[in-house]
Amino acid sequence: MKNIWTVTWYSLREALARKVFIFFFVISILTIVFVALILNLTGIEKVFAPGVQPDLFNAVNTLEMMFISPITLICLLLSIFSSASFIPIMLEKGNIDLLLSKPISREQLLLGKFFGGILVVLLNIAFLIIGVWLIFSFKFSIWNFEFLITIFTITFIFSILYSIIVFFGIITKSSTLGMMIAYLLFLIVSPALYTAKYKFALFIQNNIIKGVIDFAYYILPKTSELMGKTNYDLASGHGITNYQPVLTSLLFLVLTLGISVAIFRKKDF
Amino acid sequence: MAFNSIETTGLTKVYSTSFGRKKVEALTGLNLNVSPGTIFGFLGPNGAGKTTLVKLLLGITFPTSGSAKILGEDISGYKIKSRIGYLPENHKYPPYLTGGEVLDFFGKLSGMEGDPLSKKIDELLELVNLSKWKKTKVKNYSKGMMQRLGLAQALINDPELIFLDEPTDGVDPIGRKDIRDILTELKTRSKTIFLNSHLLSEVELITDRVGILNRGKLIREGTVKELTQKGEEYKLNLEGSSVESFIKQYQDNFQISKLNDGYFTLKVSHANELNSILDKLRSEGIMVKEMVQQKNSLEDIFISLISESEKGGAK
Repeated sequence: MKNIWTVTWYSLREALARKVFIFFFVISILTIVFVALILNLTGIEKVFAPGVQPDLFNAVNTLEMMFISPITLICLLLSIFSSASFIPIMLEKGNIDLLLSKPISREQLLLGKFFGGILVVLLNIAFLIIGVWLIFSFKFSIWNFEFLITIFTITFIFSILYSIIVFFGIITKSSTLGMMIAYLLFLIVSPALYTAKYKFALFIQNNIIKGVIDFAYYILPKTSELMGKTNYDLASGHGITNYQPVLTSLLFLVLTLGISVAIFRKKDF
Repeated sequence: MAFNSIETTGLTKVYSTSFGRKKVEALTGLNLNVSPGTIFGFLGPNGAGKTTLVKLLLGITFPTSGSAKILGEDISGYKIKSRIGYLPENHKYPPYLTGGEVLDFFGKLSGMEGDPLSKKIDELLELVNLSKWKKTKVKNYSKGMMQRLGLAQALINDPELIFLDEPTDGVDPIGRKDIRDILTELKTRSKTIFLNSHLLSEVELITDRVGILNRGKLIREGTVKELTQKGEEYKLNLEGSSVESFIKQYQDNFQISKLNDGYFTLKVSHANELNSILDKLRSEGIMVKEMVQQKNSLEDIFISLISESEKGGAK
């Protein structure tokens, strides 16, 4: 456990040494400042349509999500980009030799790197979300603690995507393929499968195509749903209304990481 | 129970390339024993399999067949590495870390922590003359400084067995001497050092035993003396009016031949014969001004063995 923590801690150091994480941090600060300015310059009555008396709790929650969603999306995209090279750098000749010559198992080494990437994103996302939440909470005196769960849902989404990057990083010793597949899954495949399964199901008559969509939908992680409905439900205090996307995505994460560890354990360097 | 620091039995590594179509035998049936407390020099041309052996012993690469033990334990476990130090040939350290942080990281991975680790870091930086650079990021280090930091890293856990791959690569002559002194000092503390190096003159200076590897096969192993001595052959510097007549008189009895400027080579079958010749020389009033036992340099032997091995392989 100590070994995992050492690698995790130094992965955090590695991340902090990269400019993209500073950029990530700057975006978070700008967002927080922007939210503070908007809320100070306008009252809630100006944000909503004239004459509308909104439920203040839901209104604040909606506003928080409105600000957070696009920013976390950008942060996730940046995180994928910046963490993609963690594994290939670790596997570079001269680096991996040294690491493997120490009394640390290959599992510990890989998990340490994995948790390091997650810790970086967790800290960044937490900074952004807590910052925005504090401003809204002070402004409206509404302390929606459930909103803070989004820190974990977004970190969870990142960890799924990061497991893909780790997997392809181990196989190819490069960041490109893993990064491309993570982006493809997050931005295109997951939303497309969700739409095909739930919005266009009635229009798809061919059973084979239906079967293929179902198969792909269930075996692949549902980042789109996690980022949307699951995240919103949790943030607004409704809890998880559908466990299927969470559990199947978690299973995908565990399997991908497990296979990565198994490959890494047998790999010659 | 006494055990060798390194023991390999039929250790073989075959790499597959081009999707398994091509096989490269990097190491073939290697049997090697390295005794504790010795400096073992492992020599061979590029691609001979030297680094492959170290990687196999450290679990960086897995053997195709055969077995190996280090410090009496099978190489498949990772915990034994807490008693091992390693300096790879082209080591890379995170450029954003300082020299002190690099040692801290590898010290922690080796199971050290707290005050003992901090003290060890300072002690090692002092040993390799990098104390002043402790808080400088390694991206600003020169090649020689990186090499010295690498040596400190290899010693961070006070290992019993140390693998060094080209430790003096990029280091200036003074730095090289410092490293040699450190290695000699480590030997006095009963550490076993396994040294891969191209610098044969350096290997000759500090190693107890040498193994020469070519195309994955161990072609010779022995002490430096065993490998380099030419038998009972001496170079003599003789002076006296009767030298020429002495040579003429005895050249059928001894293998003696003239070189130049009063120098002669003498081959004898054993030391007693040498003594009787020296007695005869003195009785003839010839002064023996200098006498040196002839030996090959390690480089001569290395080149000759590799050439022989290549010819053998080509047949």
